[in-house]
Amino acid sequence: MSKSKKFAVNRRGFLKGAATAAAGAAAIATHVPESDAQTPPAGPGRSNTPAPPPNAAQLERDAGAVRPPAGGNARAAVRPGSDLMVQVLRDLGIEYVAANPGSSFEGIQESIINYGNPPNVMPEFITALHEESSVTMAHGYGKATGKPMCALLHGTIGIQHAAMSIYQAYYDKTPALLIAGRDLGFIAAHSANDMAGMVRSYTKWDATPKTLEESLVAIQRAYTEAITPPCAPTMVVIDIDLQKEEAGTLKVPAYQPPKISGIDPGQAREIAKGLLDAQNPRIAVGRLRTPDGVRLAVQLAELVGASTSTAATQGPMSFPQRHPLCGPGANTSYDFTLGLEQPGTVGLVGPSLATLLSRDSTNIGFGGIAPGVSRAGGAGRGGRGGGAPAGRTVDIDAEASLPAIIDEVRRQMSPDKQRVIQDRSAKHATANQTARIEALTRALEQRRAGWDASPISTARVYAELWPLIVDEDWILSSPSNFSGAHNAQLWDHNKPYSYLGGQGAGGMGYGAPASVGAALAAKSRKQIVINVQTDGDLNYAPGVLWTAQHHQLPMLTVMHNNRAWHQELMFVEYMCGVRGRGTERGHIGTTLRDPFIDYRMMAACYGMAGEGPITDPVKLGPALKRGLVSVKKGQPYMIDVITQPR
Amino acid sequence: MTTKSSMLMFVAVVGLAAPIAIRAQQGATPAAPTAKPVTALTSPVTGNAVTGKKLYYDHACYSCHGFNGETGARPFVPNWPANLATEGSFTAFLRGRANLSPVQPSTAMPNYPVQSVSDAQARDIYAYIRSFKSAQPTVDKIPVMNQILAAAKKPYKQ
Repeated sequence: MSKSKKFAVNRRGFLKGAATAAAGAAAIATHVPESDAQTPPAGPGRSNTPAPPPNAAQLERDAGAVRPPAGGNARAAVRPGSDLMVQVLRDLGIEYVAANPGSSFEGIQESIINYGNPPNVMPEFITALHEESSVTMAHGYGKATGKPMCALLHGTIGIQHAAMSIYQAYYDKTPALLIAGRDLGFIAAHSANDMAGMVRSYTKWDATPKTLEESLVAIQRAYTEAITPPCAPTMVVIDIDLQKEEAGTLKVPAYQPPKISGIDPGQAREIAKGLLDAQNPRIAVGRLRTPDGVRLAVQLAELVGASTSTAATQGPMSFPQRHPLCGPGANTSYDFTLGLEQPGTVGLVGPSLATLLSRDSTNIGFGGIAPGVSRAGGAGRGGRGGGAPAGRTVDIDAEASLPAIIDEVRRQMSPDKQRVIQDRSAKHATANQTARIEALTRALEQRRAGWDASPISTARVYAELWPLIVDEDWILSSPSNFSGAHNAQLWDHNKPYSYLGGQGAGGMGYGAPASVGAALAAKSRKQIVINVQTDGDLNYAPGVLWTAQHHQLPMLTVMHNNRAWHQELMFVEYMCGVRGRGTERGHIGTTLRDPFIDYRMMAACYGMAGEGPITDPVKLGPALKRGLVSVKKGQPYMIDVITQPR
Repeated sequence: MTTKSSMLMFVAVVGLAAPIAIRAQQGATPAAPTAKPVTALTSPVTGNAVTGKKLYYDHACYSCHGFNGETGARPFVPNWPANLATEGSFTAFLRGRANLSPVQPSTAMPNYPVQSVSDAQARDIYAYIRSFKSAQPTVDKIPVMNQILAAAKKPYKQ
């Protein structure tokens, strides 16, 4: 559906707007029938004048009876500016552009689907049913890959639909490239002088270029800013005129990737010496930026034989959980700890969102970012690696610092040290494996509780899944914190993308679209996505199920269907209890009952295969197997499981 | 909607097994026994379990204790806490819960004064709770768990 249909104008007003838009786009060599060419009103408030009835030519065009002008099939623009914009995206390696269609970016949309050979590849247009879904898809993709995905937003309305998702990605320090279309000549309420201003306080960078050339540079700059720490969403507002402008001989500027600052050589020498001189060094690994950072962290740990902690059970881009060096090690008295996005004897911690406070020009003061705002903890990734002492923090990106440290370690290495390191590494490996088996044994003992109960225990959902995917290349895309977080104890998170972590800002409506974004990444990498989906969360934007089906994404959705926004139920029950006015109405506004929602049917209406609701725990395992068979064929699958609350 | 608080709050849940440390400020009935959990209860049950089942659902007891008392944040089957030793201790426990002026949202167990849950209703809930049976085989009888352990013992692959 066109966005314009959402606008509260009657059909005549709509046609009037279309006519004035066509006439107002002075830079576009589009033929406008004389009768349609009306003078566009200038400035704000131009839509206040009641729209006249449509004239005959407008009605004729609306009926589809308009023909191109005589003299051939000449295109309005031989080399439209939007082709160059798409070429920039292609050069940047943008795989996907998600959007709910909107006329303000119709030039870019047409270029994505028609420009190049083959068209609609790198980037591919992903059809979203809501802008909040588009941006959360980019959020999930960004966490799975460490790279930005693009989302197109339609004018002021698209940006505001997307606002919540932008906010979450911002808090999650996840890169995303947002392009907002603007059409000053169409529906007045859809455009604004400073459209990016609506989300400026929670985007990292934005621009509204005035020329086509500036637009191309701005897209490149937006990409650079998004992937430079602190990583965050960025936005470019591009006028429709620039998208449709004839580019002529204009060339796409060469892209220069950013050089992200790491520690200086002196600090690298000091850290390398600390790691090599220590009897029992430790590396505490938080959330790095990209898979390359994880690879370098592994390389460093293996070089120095350090035991490591990981944040891989809390989010992406951290140390492999089953790596032999990951764990407490053979000796838990660490005499030097290097923190990578973590505290340590020396902790390398990249810039926080607080460094972007100047963009909050109206001093909204978001909690955890602005000083003195919240009683709760600060925002930012990192996770709790554990075991890291308080020490000196160097405000520098850890990932960008690793190559210099590794070089210094190699330079300072001696054969004697190598022998010690080999011996220490072997002891760590043995100790860590023993600790791991002991921890797993304890975890299984705890999670057998309610094994045969109905509704099905959440622990059983995760336990049944693990043997089925242990040898697959998988992504757990949905937050598990409301589902018992059983993956943290039962599964091994060995890839940078194994677990994508929480919502970012704790907002609901994240799990399903983020899983679709992860599944976009998975599709081109031959991976599968596991989405243990809470029911309350899915109901914010269930249309993403259609997107998953339409684009044939490898996503298994297993409902954690407790028929409630369960944490809120507990909150309200508590309030009812402490006020002593009865807890039997605590379900009002917190539960999804009367009627229960059937998620298999919901998926089916979007064309997705599935089964359920399943209440018998014995039937769970076979259903999961069927689901995985489907997903490995590229067909998403829905299993509705009625579960215990947590 | 947002969750209003982090999941960390979840770990702060004070369930049936928690000590009753703040009873005094509420002028509640005497503290329940503090004996260690037991695996079987034999005290008399006088309530109606059928009525209790509805009350267990209506008052959302399942939200923290699961639908059979064995799952969730505060399970109590099969290791029954001392608060559940008798009808009397259970009722006393319901009456003496929680801070009455909370500032922040909490998932702690609510207080249940008599105007919320009568003594008779408490006995009915107790009767239903006492009907719960453990549904947990030992680990060695669960094939999936054995597969998980076996997988963990395999060498790590990059």
